[in-house]
Amino acid sequence: MGDIRQSLLPRDVLSAAKELLYHLDIYICNLVQSGRQPPQVDSKTLDLIEEFILHAPKDRNAPARRMSALQELQLLEIMCSCFQEQSRDTVRQLMFSALFGLQGNAADESRMALLGKLVSMAVAMGRVPILECAATWLQRTHRVYCVRLAQVLVDDYCSMVPGSVPTLQNIHSASPRFCCQFITAVTTLYDLTTEELTPPIELLQMIVSWIQEDPRLVLITFLNTPLTGSQPINSLDVTPLGGLVRWCVKAPLAYKTDKKQTPTHERSENVPEVGPLFSTLHLSVLQVLMLLPNILNEKGLFGRMGLLQLDSLAALTSELSRLLDQADKHAHASDAHAAPQLALDRLAQALQVAKANGALLCSRGRNLEAVLFLFRPSRLGKVESKIKTVKMRKMLVKHASKLYPHFCIISVFSRINYFDFHSSNNVLLIHKLLEHCKQLVFLLLLNKSVC
Amino acid sequence: MSAQKDCEFLVKKARELVSVDSCAAKAWLITARTLYPTDFNIQYEMYTIERNAERTAPAGRLLYDMFINFPDQPIVWREIGVITAALRSDSQDKHAQFLRGLFETLPGRVQCEMLLKATEQCFNTLEKAEMLLLLLKRFPESVVQHGLSLGETLLDAEASENVDTPVNCFRKLFVCDVLPLIINNMDIRLPASLMQKYILKAAEFYIGYVTRGPSADGQLQGSQDSGNLKSPSMSRGSQRYVIDGLSEKSSLVADPWERLLELLAVVGVRCEWQGDKGQRSFVDMLQRMKELCRYLPGLDGETRSRYCSQVVICGALTLFRSAFLYVSAVQPALFQGHGASSGPWILVEDLSSVYSDVDLDKGPVKHAQKKRKQADGREKTMSSDDEEGLGKGRGRHILVSKTEMPNWSETLEGFRAARESWDLLHSHDALEAEFKKICASWKTDSWLWFRIFLTDMIVFQGQYRKALSSLHQMSAVQQHQPGQQSPSGQGSLEHHRVLIQQASCHYALGEYRVHTHLFHLTITSLLPAVTSGLPQYSAFRKGLKIYWIMCKCRAFMFLIVSRQLRAFADNRDDLSLGHVVVLLQYDWPQGEMLFLKSVDKIYHQGSFQYENFFNYVTNIDMLEEFAYLRTPEGGRIQLELLPNQGMLIKHHTVTRGITKGVKEDFRLAMERQVSRCGENLLSVLHRFCINEKIIIIQSLP
Repeated sequence: MGDIRQSLLPRDVLSAAKELLYHLDIYICNLVQSGRQPPQVDSKTLDLIEEFILHAPKDRNAPARRMSALQELQLLEIMCSCFQEQSRDTVRQLMFSALFGLQGNAADESRMALLGKLVSMAVAMGRVPILECAATWLQRTHRVYCVRLAQVLVDDYCSMVPGSVPTLQNIHSASPRFCCQFITAVTTLYDLTTEELTPPIELLQMIVSWIQEDPRLVLITFLNTPLTGSQPINSLDVTPLGGLVRWCVKAPLAYKTDKKQTPTHERSENVPEVGPLFSTLHLSVLQVLMLLPNILNEKGLFGRMGLLQLDSLAALTSELSRLLDQADKHAHASDAHAAPQLALDRLAQALQVAKANGALLCSRGRNLEAVLFLFRPSRLGKVESKIKTVKMRKMLVKHASKLYPHFCIISVFSRINYFDFHSSNNVLLIHKLLEHCKQLVFLLLLNKSVC
Repeated sequence: MSAQKDCEFLVKKARELVSVDSCAAKAWLITARTLYPTDFNIQYEMYTIERNAERTAPAGRLLYDMFINFPDQPIVWREIGVITAALRSDSQDKHAQFLRGLFETLPGRVQCEMLLKATEQCFNTLEKAEMLLLLLKRFPESVVQHGLSLGETLLDAEASENVDTPVNCFRKLFVCDVLPLIINNMDIRLPASLMQKYILKAAEFYIGYVTRGPSADGQLQGSQDSGNLKSPSMSRGSQRYVIDGLSEKSSLVADPWERLLELLAVVGVRCEWQGDKGQRSFVDMLQRMKELCRYLPGLDGETRSRYCSQVVICGALTLFRSAFLYVSAVQPALFQGHGASSGPWILVEDLSSVYSDVDLDKGPVKHAQKKRKQADGREKTMSSDDEEGLGKGRGRHILVSKTEMPNWSETLEGFRAARESWDLLHSHDALEAEFKKICASWKTDSWLWFRIFLTDMIVFQGQYRKALSSLHQMSAVQQHQPGQQSPSGQGSLEHHRVLIQQASCHYALGEYRVHTHLFHLTITSLLPAVTSGLPQYSAFRKGLKIYWIMCKCRAFMFLIVSRQLRAFADNRDDLSLGHVVVLLQYDWPQGEMLFLKSVDKIYHQGSFQYENFFNYVTNIDMLEEFAYLRTPEGGRIQLELLPNQGMLIKHHTVTRGITKGVKEDFRLAMERQVSRCGENLLSVLHRFCINEKIIIIQSLP
């Protein structure tokens, strides 16, 4: 295909790009028909794409050809209809990855730019084939780039043009696969660490309504992924569950600080409270987890594949303890304990339900049977019933170290604030949980550094 | 146990959160359930949250889980009890609908199992049956296993509960719900005898249902309506009827005769009845039975008995249905209470012949009375059933007023079909014996409505002695009808029917003395009704209730006319003559010849004294005739028609001026009378009957 370069050079940018797309289509069709496994687009063709479609500078001396905004729009339209008209999935996929598969070179930036525009356009126009290809792309690409694509869509539909959210909302029905990957990307993007990394309320509402309507949506990618297909390193999680758990757990504390920064009177009347949204989302996550045993059993994966990663949960717990410390510093409001309690509740619930339903694998010997989530001693000072708590702590440590001798537990992170330790019920509860070691409501934080 | 306490703690936590943040509450419960999968309270709490929020699908799923995992929990059974109660009830409230929707979300297998188990736990026969019925209706495959036993349970329950009417809750469930399921299921083997037993049970129920009296409830409503009767639709309220033990909706049976016919068709097919090709009408059926009857004498053995039961069952059903059609037309108040849209119609001997009898001046002539009419009206009449091939009643017709009885042809057709069915059932000893068995088990002797038909049939056949004994039975039945003895209610209506028909029969038999006696009774018993009826009459000219009073009075009037005319033939004093003249106004100019004869008589007497003349004679022709009698051309007849006039004349016979004054009075009275011509004749005659009761009875021989 390299020989067409000469014929493309004299043409203007748009017609050259058009011509190249045309030839690409034929070339890939032939490639698929030839039956060579795996069908691979050769590097010369990739070069041509970079030169005539992405307009990456071939070398430093040659001036880069540029398209006007209008020409670019025309090109996007041509690409749209090109994918729309191609009836064969394989051809379409190959073409998409030939155009947008990241090559690790300078052209990747323009590749990402063009991809963002194309997907955004496909969302607007409801081009299902492109969304499907983009869903696959989101599965294969490094999460950093996936997050960038998600960012483009959020910017286009949630931030830039008010009232365009319903357009994005439609991707749920247009391409559930894309929708699922989009949620995963978005939950990866917004980790609630800063205000910028807090999802816009419109996006949050949209995601909540999607999942509430159809909880299986978050499992679509997982359900459609063949068992053999190993995940590329650093790609997005196969489900957004981890990200969603993080959202729900951190939200009470993250939004708490947020709220303090914005005076109440500035909040617009029609902006709904995020609290109930996260509460609904959290319940949906638990309900999705409840669906898992059947699905995992069907796939023969129960107990063999965890959808929640221990590493990310460990990261979450340390983030959470940081947030809890922060919350302690600001704790002067009367309901100061409510938010940390809620965060801990949610983490505890998510972990317990995940574990019970096979989403979280804890093998006894090598890894963790449980994550011990322990309070810092400093927090104990606030406890009314000091003796009991200390006793508790000792007991926990004793039991835990007996059960997991190779783990050293640094501190007991007891749940004083939300479990009333005056109640002997809870003492018994913890006692029993530790003894049986299978039913853990309480989170045990493993501090690896001291291990 | 500590686990128990932990669970309680978690449930309590969820319960606290429900009102604040139901999602958080549910999240806790989900967590708790993964911790204690075998704890019932956690699942029940989850279910409670969904149920209270009336979320059908999740609540259904949780109920399903509870049913599967905790089949022994009493709370689950209490819940299932509530749901099955909602299924059985016809309540339209939101919660009941939710519960029914909840049940629908469950998988069929679970529904089936749930109903069965719920049935087992039920101790009330009726509830148990209703529950099982729900099961049978939803899962037709269960009919084979449970259908027959349910049917028998219901019939047993009916027998052991000593219910006094076939229209009871057990029978209703059996006939309307269970029986169709059983007999339409070809996998169930049913012997013919059992099917016959069942169809008779069904027939007894449906007949009892259609012929039930207006309910006490309805009567109450009816009497309230009477005060402010505005439109006929008001009386709809009296249609409400509730079978004891059932709800109003399930007490309602739509198209009873049609449903009976459907059952009969299925039974016919299953019993391999002769020539029965499924659905046919009652009319066709009668025709078919008549044909079958012809083969009957030539058959024997089993075929004969099969034919017999077919003819008896079908014949009996046509008989009762046709008789019902007839009676509901002639005595609608029996079934509709005060909402009856037309008055009672009473079959009596045609008395119009009295006019001609008197002409003949020979006293009563029995053989002349072949014609008969229904109580009143002969305007555009005549419907004959000459064509009927049966000996009894040949050549008799029934005269009805087509204008006043709009459904006359169906009524007469019903009467004819009923008579034919009756004759058919009595055409063979075997048939009659079978039919009598049915009658005995149904206690048809106590059916007042059927007695009315039988009496009319006998009257029609001209068997007056038999008719009298039938009437006697009718009053006996009436006395045993509870709650219908109020003077203005049902009872008196039928009582009048009896009296009038008795009088008519005695008259036809030439027994005038009894006739007179009955007359007396009729007048005295009718008077309260008439007096109370009259004001209403003027107040609501078009009201429905008045209509029957009017009809009744006309019947009554007619009897008086006939009696007076009879008296006229024997006794010729002025008082009787005057009464006759007053009464001849009724049905004018039917008795014109008689009137002219009377005038002729007065002319020959040369004088006539009747002080009530101006009170009751408003007929312009008559007034004219009397005015003429006074003139020189008319013969200067001395008429003493004003009260006390005779006395005055006798006293001042020499004073010219006074006679002149008398003349003047007569002229004024005549003039006044002419202005009264527009007055309602019936009310005038009512007044006459009431005021002059004693004189009338005295003047009777």
